[in-house]
Amino acid sequence: MSEDGPDGPNSDRSGPQGPEPERPDGGRAVVDEAEEVGEPSVESGDGTEPPSAGGSERDGEAAEAAGADEADPAEASAGAGEATGPVAAAVRSSRIRSTNHWVGFATLVFLSAGLGALLRSRPLMLAAVVGVGYLAYANTTEAPEPELAVERRLSEEEPEPGDTVEVTVVVENVGEAALADLRVVEQVPEALAVTEGPARAATALRPGARMTFSYTVLARRGAYRFEGLTVIARNASGSRERELDVATEPAAITCLAPIDATATVPLRGLTSPYTGRVSTDSSGEGTEFASLREYQHGDALSRIDWNTYARDRTLTTMEFREERMATVVVVLDLRAEAYLQAGDDGPHAVDRGIDAARRVFNSLLDTGDRVGLAAFAADTVWLAPGAGPTHRARARELLSTDPALSPLPPDGRVYVRLQLRRLAQRLDDDAQVVFVSPMPDDTSAVIARSLHVRGHAVTVLSPDPTMGDTPGRRLAAIERSNRLNGLRGSDVRVVDWDGDERLAEALERARRRWSG
Amino acid sequence: MSGTEITRRPGRHSLVVSGVAGATAVAMALTGGGTGAAAAALGTVVLLAGVRRANHRAVDAGGLVAFLGVAVAALSEAPPVAVLFGTVGAVVAWDAGTNAVSLGRQLGAEADTVRAENLHAMVGAVVGLLTAVFGLVLFEVGPTRQPVTTLFVLLIAATLLVVALNR
Repeated sequence: MSEDGPDGPNSDRSGPQGPEPERPDGGRAVVDEAEEVGEPSVESGDGTEPPSAGGSERDGEAAEAAGADEADPAEASAGAGEATGPVAAAVRSSRIRSTNHWVGFATLVFLSAGLGALLRSRPLMLAAVVGVGYLAYANTTEAPEPELAVERRLSEEEPEPGDTVEVTVVVENVGEAALADLRVVEQVPEALAVTEGPARAATALRPGARMTFSYTVLARRGAYRFEGLTVIARNASGSRERELDVATEPAAITCLAPIDATATVPLRGLTSPYTGRVSTDSSGEGTEFASLREYQHGDALSRIDWNTYARDRTLTTMEFREERMATVVVVLDLRAEAYLQAGDDGPHAVDRGIDAARRVFNSLLDTGDRVGLAAFAADTVWLAPGAGPTHRARARELLSTDPALSPLPPDGRVYVRLQLRRLAQRLDDDAQVVFVSPMPDDTSAVIARSLHVRGHAVTVLSPDPTMGDTPGRRLAAIERSNRLNGLRGSDVRVVDWDGDERLAEALERARRRWSG
Repeated sequence: MSGTEITRRPGRHSLVVSGVAGATAVAMALTGGGTGAAAAALGTVVLLAGVRRANHRAVDAGGLVAFLGVAVAALSEAPPVAVLFGTVGAVVAWDAGTNAVSLGRQLGAEADTVRAENLHAMVGAVVGLLTAVFGLVLFEVGPTRQPVTTLFVLLIAATLLVVALNR
């Protein structure tokens, strides 16, 4: 696993100089520094080189420095900081406890010795002697205090959504004591799913020895930080263990969603005073003929109907349907109630909603409208309507990495009334609203209605999270469908977006219904 | 999104370590006759089943039965060397088993724990063998005609001392 991709060129270089460290199962290597002194020190800032060729001499020095400077691992990190190898990790919290592994063993010793005495059996007495040896072994040592240096390498720091990212963790024992039983559990960011290889390993580490394990995660939209390890160190007999929460050098994955648009988003007639693509009922400049009227002083020459002038010598002016720019604010429903999922697999409704919002946003920008973003979330999410590439980039950043738009439900409470009032203040009078919500409850319908009665043309884009396999789920589906129908009845446009349907299809279907 | 689930039990390798140690215990018990060996074998099987299912109690019970098997063999005039090795085998099987269960619970079956487990079992075996040799030397060279009760009292004293030392 770990030496597949980035290892290639380095292996070639290090091949002739020294033996490759053994990799017992192909995926994990416990590398001893002594075995690789002959290898070249490779300067590398990209963090992709494997432990087998990773500037071993300098790392060795760093390890010695860290070992000599045993008082504070954080100080040692200053020396190891420049090296590309593992960096000394700071201990956030430490807990020591008994494992109860050998509890009750003394009873066995008593039993054996007692039986031996009763039955006058010397072999049983001897067995008890062995037991006493084990008891001494178990009770006389304490769990070690590990001093570790950790390096974490990501195969890709800015993956596309759906890409897999290989994370390689190198743990080095920079202390002076051997760690007989070291268990390391990676603190994988909660929203990321580990798809391959466990993010955890156990081994024994001599001073200066390293272990490497790697796993892959599936990238999702968002910004994630890897910054900790849980480490459990036991003594050799396993009677005591120390659990540490170790802070490591942070590594981050930023996964921006692609800039993709959908088919043209159908909009309502309500528009801004700027020229755009939405045909309106008001006449003026445009391309689609509307009417003729008497010439007034100041009308543009190009709009004079010269045919009429040629026929009866009167000046008439042609009126066209004005095409105007719309101001649209895409409003996301990010309340905990909206985090619904059809079945166990696949994206949940909020993920689909954010995906849809992104595409609607981009497609509206493409058609020359001014688009903004807002959300009903635990934190304030607001991007004022705008246009242009900077605006597009800002929206992409927000839709991808804003913590409020995380794939996990919010911890805090979402105050719908407060946010509704604030949103209403922010919206321009002529702004349309595309409300993206799975419509999980009546509150979502209330949001759509109140925006509608405030005079904003509301289009509800609703990813359908319902299933029909159990009576309860069917009931939920019917309730949602009633909610949508109620909204349709009060002149709110609704796009019901089914799980296995493309967004463009859903929009097209809705457009046909609206125009028909 | 579904990732890989963590299987909260020991990996396959743990069975090998405990199995080998358990088999040693059985083989040593065999020198004292069928009954002891049968008990030791039963204990080993229970222990292995306990490791497989990450069940601490089953591992403890299996280890105890395996040791009792060795004890039965000792009472059926098995040679002291066999009893000592059998005891060490039973203890190592149990020790490796419980260690594997804790590893399995903390890290899951997918994690690589081979090195940690091997080291744990080996250190355990070395400690056992050292004390066994020490005991054997005393047994052969020492004042052999001491009454058994004296030995008994000495052993109990040593046990209590060791346990008390760490309290």
